[in-house]
Amino acid sequence: MSFRSGVATFAGKSSYWFLHTFLHGGSSLPGKITLKLDPNILRTLGAKYDVIVITGTNGKTLTTALTVSVLHEKYPSILTNPTGSNMEQGIVTTFLNAKNPKTGRPLAVLEVDEANVIKVTQYIEPKAFVFTNIFRDQMDRYGEIYTTYQKILDGVALAPNATIIANGDSPIFHSKELPNPIEYYGFDDQPDTDMKAKPNTDGVLCPNCEHILHYHSLTYSNQGKYFCPNCGFSRPELTYRLTKLGEQTPTSSKFEIDGHPFKIQVGGTYNIYNALAAYAVGRFMGVTPIQISNAFNANQQVFGRQEVIDVDGKRVTIILVKNPVGLDQVLHMIGTDTHPFSLVGLLNANYADGIDTSWIWDGDFEQLADRDIPTVITGGERYKDITFRLKVAGIPDDRHIVEPNLEKVVDEIKKVSTDRVYVLATYTAMLQMRKILADKGYVKEGLGL
Amino acid sequence: MSYELNVAHLYGDLMNTYGDVGNILALNYYAKQMDVSLNVKVVSLEEDFKSADYDLAFFGGGQDFEQTIVSQDIQTKKAELTKFIESDGPLLAICGGFQLLGHYYIGADGEKLPGIGALDHYTLAQDHNRFIGNIVIKNQETGETYHGFENHQGLTYLGKDERPLGNVVSGKGNNGEDGTEGAIYKNVYCSYFHGPILTRNGDIAKHLLVAALQRKYPDADFSQQEALPIPATF
Repeated sequence: MSFRSGVATFAGKSSYWFLHTFLHGGSSLPGKITLKLDPNILRTLGAKYDVIVITGTNGKTLTTALTVSVLHEKYPSILTNPTGSNMEQGIVTTFLNAKNPKTGRPLAVLEVDEANVIKVTQYIEPKAFVFTNIFRDQMDRYGEIYTTYQKILDGVALAPNATIIANGDSPIFHSKELPNPIEYYGFDDQPDTDMKAKPNTDGVLCPNCEHILHYHSLTYSNQGKYFCPNCGFSRPELTYRLTKLGEQTPTSSKFEIDGHPFKIQVGGTYNIYNALAAYAVGRFMGVTPIQISNAFNANQQVFGRQEVIDVDGKRVTIILVKNPVGLDQVLHMIGTDTHPFSLVGLLNANYADGIDTSWIWDGDFEQLADRDIPTVITGGERYKDITFRLKVAGIPDDRHIVEPNLEKVVDEIKKVSTDRVYVLATYTAMLQMRKILADKGYVKEGLGL
Repeated sequence: MSYELNVAHLYGDLMNTYGDVGNILALNYYAKQMDVSLNVKVVSLEEDFKSADYDLAFFGGGQDFEQTIVSQDIQTKKAELTKFIESDGPLLAICGGFQLLGHYYIGADGEKLPGIGALDHYTLAQDHNRFIGNIVIKNQETGETYHGFENHQGLTYLGKDERPLGNVVSGKGNNGEDGTEGAIYKNVYCSYFHGPILTRNGDIAKHLLVAALQRKYPDADFSQQEALPIPATF
């Protein structure tokens, strides 16, 4: 370590100690201080590690957590970054906090924001990249999916030897020739048919000849066994295949990968993709299917996003929704519940939620119309938008309670006729709701993510 | 339902950014209340648009790349679309759709890309800037106020036969200079509004549906449809 790096590391570590001890904080500021003193610090800090970078629009956090669990079955020492610390400063802080491993070469599994991949690869050549998916996101409103992918590739270009482990069902990950070794994972559980994605789907143009892609099978959005009837462009050969999709409920999923059975304690097809990605990394790193199954069974706290809160006997599940594809998947997931439930939609439009609420119209709320939901409550700062969305989706007025005030939403939740209540909330609405539930003693303080 | 309208969703599988499909959902919602059923068909790349087949059309906005592709393909539909518009066919065009009905627009790489010139506007591009935010406009003829969310790099300048959809009360509008937003030409309504526009401004949905009904059923009485109350949704 150079003198400069040494000083920078010391300053960063000291500031972390100070912030952590006295202010109970410190996730990005130590990284910021260290970077100021030595902009190249990641080269020094990261040199000791085999690094796996996980990036994409949706599923980064859970894929990272699951991958860490899976790799722990074989590797004792794994460094990872906490949720939300996926930019350069947070990543530097993560390395600063690491204890020096006693033996061997440790692994670092890092969730990295799409635009920050290059800030890692400038200094570190990762062993592998994982690409989860690229969808339009609220936080990146004017970034189109092609621009986002290019940002990732700009980073990957500095690490041409790293293996890419990519979602093979997403056409964009097959759109550019890359020097890197590539392994694909995807769903391969359906017989071939010929269909198109539904009209409001992004990214359905063939990257080769710009005709509309068709699909032999589709999971959701533009993901599936795609092919171009015009030029023959098609999904690449899969290295890791989801061979059977079993029972799905809002809190569990059963499936087989390469013939091996798995169960995860979380619902949603999108979470099966996350598990498939973690499986792929595990296999790439020599973890056995049985070890992976153990990891999926043992680490149920990683699925914390779908925390169930007991509100005077009502089983309330709060689910964060932030973009159209995610919203659609959440709607599909709660639709797998065989018990009756009530639905709450809370919409805010602050910066962290996305300031344009148009995206709620891309969510297929219509699929809930025949579920016969006894009570629907809409609220939040933009309650008018979400109220009209559900009205148009066919929710009758006599079952629809409009309540902008979240305190009163909690009162209404206590009165519904069902035991189960699903609360779909944008980011700041979810924080406000949790605060109210914490003040009333239903949950402990903190985000719980 | 007593009445039926055929709706063309132009390039619905490519021009679909920012909840544009909500406009189709809102049209359906109000159509039902007006005793009208809609048959919506996506008309996309290499598919024919025949003016005589449709009573109403919707054309949304898309990502830059998709819009480039549509800019080429739409030239094959230029004659029929122009015929539809000139024969008073009602059409709603948003963002990229608005731009493509005009003479040209400037793409993401600075190149000049053709529209179909059915309407007399043209679109330039801001340099590394977008107009993003809530917007309110007022239509001077009807006195109606419209709410939306704009998010565009294009600067559109209207031609002499076009009226604006409204004058900017707050926000930027077509170009941030002349206080206009959107365009009206015959029964064509254009705007940069997301939201989507018809979900927040049901009056525009009603104008489009009534225009389509009167054109298709010239002898019927639609005074009840015209009187449909549109409660505020925003």
